[in-house]
Amino acid sequence: MKLFRTLLGVSVLSVSMIACGSGDDSADAPSTEAPTSEAPTSDAPTTDAPTAGVLNVPADYATIQEAVDAAAEGDLILIAPGTYNEAVQVTTNNIVIRGLDRNTVIMDGNFELDNGFRVVGASGVAIENMTAMNYTKNGFFWTGSTGYRGSYLTAWRNGDYGIYAFDSVGGLLEHSYAVGSPDAGFYIGQCYPCDAVIRNVIAEHNGLGYSGTNSGGNLVIVNSVFRNNRAGIVPNSGSYELCYPQRKTTIVGNLVYSNNQPDTPAIDVAILAMGNGILSAGGVQNIIERNRVWDHDKTGIGLVPFLEEDANDAIPGKDAWGTDCATQKQQSPVVPDGPLLWDSQDTEVRGNVLEDNRRADIAVGSAGTNLWELGNCFEGNTFTTSAPLELETLAPCGSPLSETAGDWLAGDLNVITWLVDAETAPPSVDWKTSNLPEMPTLENMPDAATAPAVPASATPPTIDLAAITVPDKMD
Amino acid sequence: MGRMIRVSLVLLPLAMLTACAPDAPDAAGGSKPDDADSAITTTIATVPPNGESVTVQVLDNSYRPIDIEIVAGTEVVFDNRGRNEHNILPDSVKDDAGLAEMMANDTSPAAWGVASTEFAPGDVFSHVFTAPGVYPYYCSIHGVPGVGMYGIIRVS
Repeated sequence: MKLFRTLLGVSVLSVSMIACGSGDDSADAPSTEAPTSEAPTSDAPTTDAPTAGVLNVPADYATIQEAVDAAAEGDLILIAPGTYNEAVQVTTNNIVIRGLDRNTVIMDGNFELDNGFRVVGASGVAIENMTAMNYTKNGFFWTGSTGYRGSYLTAWRNGDYGIYAFDSVGGLLEHSYAVGSPDAGFYIGQCYPCDAVIRNVIAEHNGLGYSGTNSGGNLVIVNSVFRNNRAGIVPNSGSYELCYPQRKTTIVGNLVYSNNQPDTPAIDVAILAMGNGILSAGGVQNIIERNRVWDHDKTGIGLVPFLEEDANDAIPGKDAWGTDCATQKQQSPVVPDGPLLWDSQDTEVRGNVLEDNRRADIAVGSAGTNLWELGNCFEGNTFTTSAPLELETLAPCGSPLSETAGDWLAGDLNVITWLVDAETAPPSVDWKTSNLPEMPTLENMPDAATAPAVPASATPPTIDLAAITVPDKMD
Repeated sequence: MGRMIRVSLVLLPLAMLTACAPDAPDAAGGSKPDDADSAITTTIATVPPNGESVTVQVLDNSYRPIDIEIVAGTEVVFDNRGRNEHNILPDSVKDDAGLAEMMANDTSPAAWGVASTEFAPGDVFSHVFTAPGVYPYYCSIHGVPGVGMYGIIRVS
């Protein structure tokens, strides 16, 4: 159950949806069409399949957990189509767990089991090509891992997160689909530097499409779609997790649209952030470029503060933003007397294309801090409205901001009213029964039966960010 | 601030307990093997509350500080300041149900902890550690013993 401390989070960034127009193969949004590669139909790998170090479920092991427990580093666990009512825990390094068919290898928690897969402290574990649904916590969960990968995964109607990486570094989440979670469809949190990539994913009908609390540092979110959530992409800071503040996340080439969905399950912060596309809630040093963001009740891209009551430590000053997570964990907290206001700072918003974001296409706000002191800049965006007005004139990139640049109060964003809005927003819907779109047939990983096992690397792929262009809208 | 749940296991001053080894905290932080039970008879002296209190922040998904040292009779207050439910289980316990079973059947100092259903955000749980030993614990939702969300209390 989620708890609702009086959090005043405000995150607003508008997101839009995009059809990826990059020249990079990875720029293609995940397909919801039938797989183009030939999907395996048998219950066991073909004779072409690797046999050494391959553990077949259920042919060799009746349950996935039995196979996982028997696996040694480097092994591949192949799961035949079927429904598996298991909550699998993984503690062995460098194994690959793969479904033979993403759409018919179903992990089903029956609303009783907690996680489809929980990888605890194991590094190099890759999970591929399957669906996890109806778990009370998470579909797929890594914690304390160095090197993790989730490829061609579907997380459907789970009670907390869809795909969740916590306190883990060196990650890749790709070609995956997350729908129907009250918190985030995709989450990477408590890591700095994270050294992680999210690419070619779709998140919809979640409380938040993406959430990243206190994460960043070579963390890249590209070529993905965030639509029909309460809010789209929401990096955020808070002292209720370690390794604050959230910093240095790069968000490029995504389609972010229609994140006003009123009938999703939603945690409190998702309700507060509702109606925003890309929303930095107290994040710093983020880069938001070349996304297409449209159809939001509030902002397309918003940089706003997060007000945290009952905070657990003071906000680190700029001189501490380079402190890595491991070092910060050793530091003693200084519990503040009152609430904290985590301002969004030093974030660059460039080259995005925005339309029909009803409060403002691009926006920056605070609750007491002078906006020109926050260091956020806006440049080269295609937009109609901003808050405050003339935002690109007031806050250009590449030069110090000044109070005298113009009228910072004209049309400014009053984020305090969002707290009132949250009181009257549509309440959370039970995740067990919320309306979800019909489950599509999703793309399988190529050659699932025969592809060699490649454990997760602690070094994620390098993304050619310069090659990514603003994606076109999807049909 | 959330409700306070106090489960103070205050044993009689200087009561002598025969160490049923699987239940008693082990100096090395783990349970003693069964064969040790028959070979060694240990006594654990318990002391009354000494009025001292130490707070452990329970965050998402960490205990802070992870490792604390206290003297017997000190109260440890666990304050759930995160946004998620957590539990606090001795390493020997698998889950909330296991904790309930332990608490129903074990009156030794090793029997302590709180289930997730009783430890939502804003809740506080406290326990007085009356017997010296090492008490490793973890959250079964977000870790396993010694990995992920875990902690240790060293009582001298």
